[in-house]
Amino acid sequence: MAVELSAFERSPRFSRWLDRRIPPTRRLTLSQQSIFIFPTITGFLFGGLIVLLILGAINYQNSLVYGVAFTLGSLFLVTILYTFRNLSGLTIELVSAGTGFVGEDVEFQVRVSRPKGKGREGIQLGWLGAIAQWAEVYDSEACSVRLFVRAERRGWLDPARLLIETQYPLGLLRAWTWVDLGARALVYPLPLFIDQPEHVARRGEDGELMDPQGSDDFSEMRTYRPGDPVRHIMWRVYARSDQLVVKEYTSYLDPRLMLDFERVGGGVEERLSRLTGMALNAARSGREFGLVLPGMTIRPGVGDPHRDSILRALALHGLPQA
Amino acid sequence: MAFLKRNDSAEALGVGYQIPRNSLALLMIAQAVVVLPHSAHITPWIVAVGLFCGCWRWMVFQGRWDYPQRWVKVLLVVASAIGVGVSGKNVFSLETATGLLIVAFALKLVEMKSRRDAYLVIHLCYFIIAAEFLFDQSIGVALYGALAMVIVTAALVGLHQLHTRVSMSTSLRTAGVLVMQAIPLMLVLFLFFPRVAPLWSVPLPGGTRTGISDHIAPGDIAALTRSNDIAFRAVFDGPIPAPRDLYWRGLVYSNFSQGTWSAGPASTAVEDQPMRPDGRAEFAPDVSEIEPLSYQVLLEPTQASWLFALDVAKPVAAPTSLTRDFRLVSDEPVHAMIRYRVRSYPGAIMDTTLPEWLRRRETKLPEGDNPRIVAFAKELASRSDGPEAFLTSVLQYIRSEPFFYTLNPPTLNDTDSVDAFWFESRRGFCSHFAGAFVYLARAVGIPARMIGGYQGGEVNPVTGHLVVRQFDAHAWAEVWLEGRGWVRMDPTAAVAPARIESGLDAALSETDRAMLSEVTGRRFDGVPGLKDVLYLFESMQHRWNMWVVGYDTEVQARYLADLLGDVTPTRVGLAMLFGGGVSLMLVVVSLFWRRRPAPGHPAQRAFRRFSQRLVRSGITRRPEETPARFLERVNAARNREPSDISPLIDHLDSLLYNPDIECSKEALRTLRSGLRRLQVDVALRARS
Repeated sequence: MAVELSAFERSPRFSRWLDRRIPPTRRLTLSQQSIFIFPTITGFLFGGLIVLLILGAINYQNSLVYGVAFTLGSLFLVTILYTFRNLSGLTIELVSAGTGFVGEDVEFQVRVSRPKGKGREGIQLGWLGAIAQWAEVYDSEACSVRLFVRAERRGWLDPARLLIETQYPLGLLRAWTWVDLGARALVYPLPLFIDQPEHVARRGEDGELMDPQGSDDFSEMRTYRPGDPVRHIMWRVYARSDQLVVKEYTSYLDPRLMLDFERVGGGVEERLSRLTGMALNAARSGREFGLVLPGMTIRPGVGDPHRDSILRALALHGLPQA
Repeated sequence: MAFLKRNDSAEALGVGYQIPRNSLALLMIAQAVVVLPHSAHITPWIVAVGLFCGCWRWMVFQGRWDYPQRWVKVLLVVASAIGVGVSGKNVFSLETATGLLIVAFALKLVEMKSRRDAYLVIHLCYFIIAAEFLFDQSIGVALYGALAMVIVTAALVGLHQLHTRVSMSTSLRTAGVLVMQAIPLMLVLFLFFPRVAPLWSVPLPGGTRTGISDHIAPGDIAALTRSNDIAFRAVFDGPIPAPRDLYWRGLVYSNFSQGTWSAGPASTAVEDQPMRPDGRAEFAPDVSEIEPLSYQVLLEPTQASWLFALDVAKPVAAPTSLTRDFRLVSDEPVHAMIRYRVRSYPGAIMDTTLPEWLRRRETKLPEGDNPRIVAFAKELASRSDGPEAFLTSVLQYIRSEPFFYTLNPPTLNDTDSVDAFWFESRRGFCSHFAGAFVYLARAVGIPARMIGGYQGGEVNPVTGHLVVRQFDAHAWAEVWLEGRGWVRMDPTAAVAPARIESGLDAALSETDRAMLSEVTGRRFDGVPGLKDVLYLFESMQHRWNMWVVGYDTEVQARYLADLLGDVTPTRVGLAMLFGGGVSLMLVVVSLFWRRRPAPGHPAQRAFRRFSQRLVRSGITRRPEETPARFLERVNAARNREPSDISPLIDHLDSLLYNPDIECSKEALRTLRSGLRRLQVDVALRARS
């Protein structure tokens, strides 16, 4: 079940109030300050059943039916304490926020730990709009829960507040809280893989970018593929045959690549996606590569940290610094 | 890299919810447990539909069958509708309602898949548990209901536990604890929640009539003696009257035809209408100078409106009233156990003058029936001086002639039955004697009638209440005499005085007694100690009836007055809040109380205890002494080689100071036993 807001919780006033009541923090121990509790629909049904039984007991003047009604009523009251205690004292802590590409589910790790003593049962965690997960803190005193959020856009992904809820033991009441753990995950652009990633790569001196136009030899012709530079199109062929054909140049392969924003086709997002795909390919083949973005250049390098910094630059390109 | 991983956890985590298997199993058990007691009053047809659904669901549970098709469900609904239809019960009766409820419940069971279905079934379970109490409120049924409640609650708990954790025993334990913790609060609510009068009238459970009925054919009462079911219990405010005075009057039979006695026609005149507790009536006896007997009766359901009381009763509170022939009746038929309070005035005169219509009613005999006894009566009357002398000589006749009191009288024809009894068989039960006696009196014009009720009872030594059982059923006669009104006369006392003095058992012949004990609980009388257990059990049931089942508006008012002094809504509310608060606090303490962990390392604690014990043997650890040095000194005190103690020292040192050694339970046990052995050794040496 995906986590959803109730009608009441959707109001902006509630959200502002929540920010004051449970301010964002990486680690939070739940107390009556932060736990809400309210009957569920089942709880209201149960209340209806009790009323029905009391009516029956009155009309039949039957003491034992009163007894059943009162036992159920007392059970209801006792479970308020149970449900509340089930959350009370739990510590919620953000362990890590993963990274991912657009369209993927990004992983967050949240650690739930309980004080010593009786175990807690039936606790669920989930970001708004995502699937809730169970936390097992009955036998163990702490557990890590992996929570996933679907990444819709590149840049920083803020999953907003985390819902922690329980309906234990009878499902008559729901105790819950919304915790802002300040979690944010970096979402890289959706990678696009092009077969000939090398046409933007040019021989050059260290760190110097050369014009891709003048130096290399023409090698062959082939049909146009989206993303090819417009100036490589052989317009004369097009005029004759209605076919878009491009000239292909062979470059003297340099182990160092420079991925240049200006040298790929498409809109901003498309270019970023292509560059991401190229960066991944380059990283996988173990080659040295760098990145040129408007207003920013990363010198060629190798290794995972280098790759991540390039992906990070691509992810955050043009976004306001948060 | 995260990108290369496939994310399939959403699917694995049950997007399509399924009821945990153990919870489902508990639900099915709960369902069976809940419906079982109802099988006594619903039609077998519904039981069959329920069983069929249960089996089907079980096969689904086992994975052998699929959920039933739509047409199967339609068929089941039709079948159960027919079942309810052919049950022959009124459509609006309580039995039909529970039957329908159970059918709906069984059908829901078959298609129970989602959590919502499970909730519905559980709510129905609770409801059906309560419905059973409309039919029976005894201790046994109540305990069974409590057990059923725990099982149903366990199924509910199972729905909210982590799937991997759901097991029947943990769910049951949690549910048991929950119900136990709810009980104090429940008691508070039970005591203080205001009991109000019924808001509207409801169909009441029917049932087979038990006890004496509104017409008596000879032999009917003898059949009742085969049952030791309880008819009613009585609690006297003062001492209980002697058994011979305990005539529990219930019915008046004035009409005789075809060998059967039945109630006579009642008067429709305004002044002859039943008297309400706070009302007055012309026929009401004058009780101004009589000390009343005050008691309450807890009557088991009879499905009829007559009540039982000692002569001459006056109604104390609704819903009882007094009829023209001085019987107590209830406004409604008694479908469930009721309690009523009575004040009886022994010796009050019923009917100082007899109205003409009543005289006609109570002297009427069928034309031409039983000619011999009529002739006999007239002959006897001619030799007697007045009605009283006549009646005395009739009793004398019964005493002197070979009449027998027996449970097994020969069957008599409808016509001339009294003649046949009086002159030929001469073997009869109380109704034979009473019937003949009334017949004789009427034959000579003395107003007389037969009275039905119970006579005697057994005092329970534990609680001191009187238990009247079906085999105490009795019939006797009442004759109207000038100046004395209606006078009770019991011809059975003439033939079998023991019946009146010590109960039925004492009055019977050996063979009758043997037969009686076969069918009643009395066959256990010979077993030593069992009688006491039965008394104890009966007294428990009685207290249950008095304080739980019978806890009504009146009892509550009295109890609250004792407890609170002045019963005002504020006081009751405060008492309820206080009691509820205390009982919830108990739960809070048990839930949130955490025992503070004992200070220090467990090995350190064990060593500290050891040093304290050694003080008694005269060895005190010096503050600067390390544990190892101290143990060496102790070892020296018992004259042993240092090598004897070194393993223990090493063990203690490693537990105390080596961070790599885990302080397991096993290691602690070794340490403790080593220290204990050493200490005992030293102590023994110090003594010798």
